[in-house]
Amino acid sequence: MPRAIRGVLIECDPSIKSIIVNIDSVNHDFIIEDLDEERVVVKENMVHLLKQKLEDRLKENLPPVDESGSE
Amino acid sequence: MSINPSLHLAEYLERLPGTTFKKLYQQPSTTFAIFRRMLPHLAKTFVMRMLFLPHPMTLTDLDTWVKPEAKRKKDQSLSILRSLHIVQISAPSKEKPQEIQLMSNFKKSLRLALTGGGNHNSFGVPSSLLVPPEIDLAFLDRYARKKWEDVLHFVVSSVGYKSSLGDGSGPNKGVKELLIAGRLVDRRPNGSLGITQAGFTFLLQEANAQVWTLLLLWLEVLGNNKSSGLDPVDMLSFLFMLASLELGRAYDTNALTEERRNMLPSLVDFGLIYIPQHKRSMFFPTRLATTLTSGGNSLRTISEGVTAATQSAQTSQQSLGPLGGGGEQQAGSVVIETNYRLYAYTQSALQIAVLALFAKLNMRFPDMVAGRLSRASIRQAINFGITADQIISYLAVHAHEQMHRTAALTNKPVLPPTVVDQIRLWQLENERMKTTSGFLFRDFTDDKDYLDTARFSEEIGVLVWKNDHARMFFANKHEQIKDFLKTRKRAE
Repeated sequence: MPRAIRGVLIECDPSIKSIIVNIDSVNHDFIIEDLDEERVVVKENMVHLLKQKLEDRLKENLPPVDESGSE
Repeated sequence: MSINPSLHLAEYLERLPGTTFKKLYQQPSTTFAIFRRMLPHLAKTFVMRMLFLPHPMTLTDLDTWVKPEAKRKKDQSLSILRSLHIVQISAPSKEKPQEIQLMSNFKKSLRLALTGGGNHNSFGVPSSLLVPPEIDLAFLDRYARKKWEDVLHFVVSSVGYKSSLGDGSGPNKGVKELLIAGRLVDRRPNGSLGITQAGFTFLLQEANAQVWTLLLLWLEVLGNNKSSGLDPVDMLSFLFMLASLELGRAYDTNALTEERRNMLPSLVDFGLIYIPQHKRSMFFPTRLATTLTSGGNSLRTISEGVTAATQSAQTSQQSLGPLGGGGEQQAGSVVIETNYRLYAYTQSALQIAVLALFAKLNMRFPDMVAGRLSRASIRQAINFGITADQIISYLAVHAHEQMHRTAALTNKPVLPPTVVDQIRLWQLENERMKTTSGFLFRDFTDDKDYLDTARFSEEIGVLVWKNDHARMFFANKHEQIKDFLKTRKRAE
């Protein structure tokens, strides 16, 4: 008998996906199913937290934005 | 994109129980206001035709009033009339045809409102005192506009644009708390205030809809707070009464009940009424109050709001021609260069505040502000729930005449394509992942089972992703698929 699992499908670049998998690897409390290189299904109530964590992770890794230029 | 549903007057009214309507319809002014504002034309016609009928009429007779092709409109009108407890339709039975009639209290009050008579005082009691000469229409309009702009500024200025007048000029504390309670602005973790998506939608409304939004929030907050001693039903009918008052005329506060007198300070805060400092026993309704029930404007969504802003800017441009620029509607004032610099020839603090939502403004002159678009500023706007397309269309609509002229000469688009593309790219950058909530279907017993179900969900348009190899698919709705699986199982 097939099963239906409630969740949120996330589609993104492979690079972003690998970060998501990495975030999940700490407690395994985000991902329901790892579908393919660009897709994962995540628990509905965790999406917000995941977005936040992803944001933090990206901030660490991105070079500071060049906001110079004469005003 | 969720907006507090109670922002709509119609929805607010529909949620009220029938007994509340009985109370509301005791006041001729309320009855008349609901008749004017809430009903579509066909429903108004029905009401007017039934108003002086001595007996109920049959539904079949009503059908003969309407052309057969307008059946849908008729059904809609009837359902509105029923949901507002204006008509009564008898239950269908074999012996008697179905009959329709107006609710007796609605009928009585509307008759009174139209023909006059009675001593219900529901249209206000004019003050007998001498009116101070300085209070005229222009004064009241200025006063109401100032008060209302204060409210709007508070909503936008929460973004970081500080009004040059300082914090003391903002709306009253009560109003601020109301806006926060209504989630039009939000307390950010760092303690400052920020506009919300609902707040942005609010800004794009017409003034009339804005006033109603705020008033309904107010009713809701007071309704939840029983200790306030104010009855939301009475307040609502008081608001409807205000709407029927005459602009520029003084009314007697002593003729009001005590509860209603207690409401006056809040209404002063909103700019709906004006009470002279030295004559506390009279009040003047402002244009904000007297236009409450005119026009059946419903709330606009963000996109409709932008469209409306676009249209009004276009029409004012056409009507004012090359002279337009000093007009109230700040059409054609924004210049944007390929280096993301932005200049706006405007004095309107409100427009400046709107620009500050998505641009970093760093200079202000008497009639112009200068700033630039940056990754951070666009990102901030997107966090407020404003989309790149909205920003682009705002810029396009408000583009300065010079931009149009250059564009026409060089045969290029009005906005520099680099800027437009970059705004879109900045948005994409912030949306690194696309999320779709729904259901993952897996563990199918065999290929056929999987293929049939997947095909079915594709046909009904709920399939988002599938992988034939792993026998899994993702759908954004599951009810129909569940039924499909059940019927399949039974058939086996």
